[in-house]
Amino acid sequence: MTAPRNHFDPVNPDPPLLVVVGSGGVGKTTLAASLGILSAQAGHDTLVMTFDPSLRLKDALGVGEAAREGVVEVDIDTPGVLHASLLDARATFDRLIEQYAGDEAARRRILDNRYYNHLAGNLGGILEYMAVERLYEVAQEGRYDRVILDTPPTHQAIDFLEAPRRIVDFLDSGALKIALKPWFNEDGRLETSSRLSNFFGRSLEQYLDRLVGMQLLRDMSAFFIAFGPMFDGFRERAEATERLLVDPKTLFLLVTGPGEARIPDTLFFARRLTEAGHRLGPIVVNRVHPELTGSDTPTADDSHTEDPTADDSHTEDAGQQLFHWLGERHRRGLGQLRDLVGPQQPVVPLPLVPDEPTDLESLAAVGERFRAAFG
Amino acid sequence: MSSKDQTTVDASVDAVPRTHLATRSHARDALGQRQLIVVTGKGGVGKSALTGVLARHLAARGRRVLALEVDRRETLQRWFGVPPSGGEILEVSGELTEGLDGSLHLQNLQPSRVVDWVVEKKVKIGPLVRRIQNSPVYQRFVEGAPGLGELAILGHALRVVRGDAAGAPPIDTVILDAPATGHGIFLLTAPALVADTIGQGPFSELAREVADFVADPGRCGMVVVTLAEEMPVQEALELRQNLVRVMDRGPELLVVNGLYPPLPDGVGEAQPADGIAVDDFRDLWFRRRRVNDSELDRLGREWPGPRLDLPLLPIDEGPELLAALEEHFSRLLESAPVEEDRS
Repeated sequence: MTAPRNHFDPVNPDPPLLVVVGSGGVGKTTLAASLGILSAQAGHDTLVMTFDPSLRLKDALGVGEAAREGVVEVDIDTPGVLHASLLDARATFDRLIEQYAGDEAARRRILDNRYYNHLAGNLGGILEYMAVERLYEVAQEGRYDRVILDTPPTHQAIDFLEAPRRIVDFLDSGALKIALKPWFNEDGRLETSSRLSNFFGRSLEQYLDRLVGMQLLRDMSAFFIAFGPMFDGFRERAEATERLLVDPKTLFLLVTGPGEARIPDTLFFARRLTEAGHRLGPIVVNRVHPELTGSDTPTADDSHTEDPTADDSHTEDAGQQLFHWLGERHRRGLGQLRDLVGPQQPVVPLPLVPDEPTDLESLAAVGERFRAAFG
Repeated sequence: MSSKDQTTVDASVDAVPRTHLATRSHARDALGQRQLIVVTGKGGVGKSALTGVLARHLAARGRRVLALEVDRRETLQRWFGVPPSGGEILEVSGELTEGLDGSLHLQNLQPSRVVDWVVEKKVKIGPLVRRIQNSPVYQRFVEGAPGLGELAILGHALRVVRGDAAGAPPIDTVILDAPATGHGIFLLTAPALVADTIGQGPFSELAREVADFVADPGRCGMVVVTLAEEMPVQEALELRQNLVRVMDRGPELLVVNGLYPPLPDGVGEAQPADGIAVDDFRDLWFRRRRVNDSELDRLGREWPGPRLDLPLLPIDEGPELLAALEEHFSRLLESAPVEEDRS
């Protein structure tokens, strides 16, 4: 009997590739780093990659800008070596161009193109695509027992999954090539009798010019003309990365926060992952407040329930009431989520840690809690 | 260089760098005058709640307010306890917004609709508009042109406060629940980028107009939201640095959200050693508040502008919590500078 598809071992590299996904602010970066430590402690060579403009993992793992250029070893005494890498969308995109451009001139034409320069830094989804691209690169190298990818801080977790396809579609857009190429010749001059003009008539072209201006169209056109010869290699690569994301050796760890407000997003994303053929591991509900029991439970006639905004927060009752409410609310949210996803889908609560994990020691403590939660 | 208005605010901030309370009156006055307030911060810190709080606060003080969110999923309407807006500008009314009728509105905006509107207005001829909008060049342009979505959002805000957005009620202030991104600063720099990229035509004109609007510190402001935890505070500080570097001014206000209550006398002294069971809520309370306090101290040292702290309240997300938070917010913003609750 084989292990179920959602089987996940937090300590051993089964499966070897972990993608930590979830909405912003749920603690993905911290969990990714903690899992990295857990894996290295068990003797596995591990790489934690984050793709984060704010360089949060840098703070947490104590690695500097050096990790931006490549992979650095984390200064931690574990049987397995822990590596960390900070990913940079622009650097990854540039490297791809260099890899696929036929010669120096072709490379320069793209890297110096104004449109590319705006595109590479700002196109929606480029961070996400480049994260997957790097995962593929590292998986191909096969140097690590386990690779953990922390994903960019999207507002909604789903943006991460959709982004690679959007980038491929954007570059693959036959419409774009047809629409743009005939307009301009290799010198960037407007062709007087392009197929597009004939099809739509001159007026469309004139209006597009008035709307967006010729310069942008010229830049875009030059970019796609330059990109043309690289296209097959690039798409092959993009498709390979897409395949990696549905490979059984890649497991998605969906992280969410406690409380009912998070449930719709969590359900939506879990469904999208499984429907698209991705391997979804347990849903991790992070930062759950403990339930207060016994004598800690406030009585029903607690006067503070009347006006929770009153400035009486210096009393122990106020704190007790708040913690009772938080524990109750999180228990309720967890119960609802479990009911909705059904018994086949494990939901693992991680208790709120009392101290903020800001160094290797406290990250390791989070890892221990993680392991304990999987019992 | 900075304008007169901005110089005034910053100078007073710098004069009293350690007592952020003394500058709250400046923040209050500034927020009451802006036409656009961008609410930003790391994901999960409570940007939507703060957008709602600011909207209520200003509406109660006579401003006609539009709370604007840009998201595929509607969130703001839950905070106001009204049905989804479906993209339209909706007036908020109900038990918990009594006295604000007619002055509080919300909208969930789809940026592509605003881009389409520019085309419609400039091209004017119906069939041609559709042909342009259906043309692959246009569609790829809208999708691929960097900063166009951001420009569209800000352009919409500008039209609303100017009163030339079709069907919109008169609005004095737009409060924008900014899309969560690594660096919210891109929203504000996008118009200049688009103007630079496109160079000519209506999009370029719009971009220049919006860039001027955003660059005017008397018209456009920013409120940064954070939790008193290390990572969000780090991002808030980086955001401020970037804003100062790029826009030559700081945010109007920092709001620290979700603070655990300060500890009662005596609890701190009985500080438990590490390893005590965390199901003892006092231990958890003490240590989480200690995290809050150390981050508040850091902000006290490193955040030179006005700051306001909001408590974590035992109320479910919705209009009731919004009303309670706004009460705290307004009381603190309007209170005389006194030493704040700190354990």
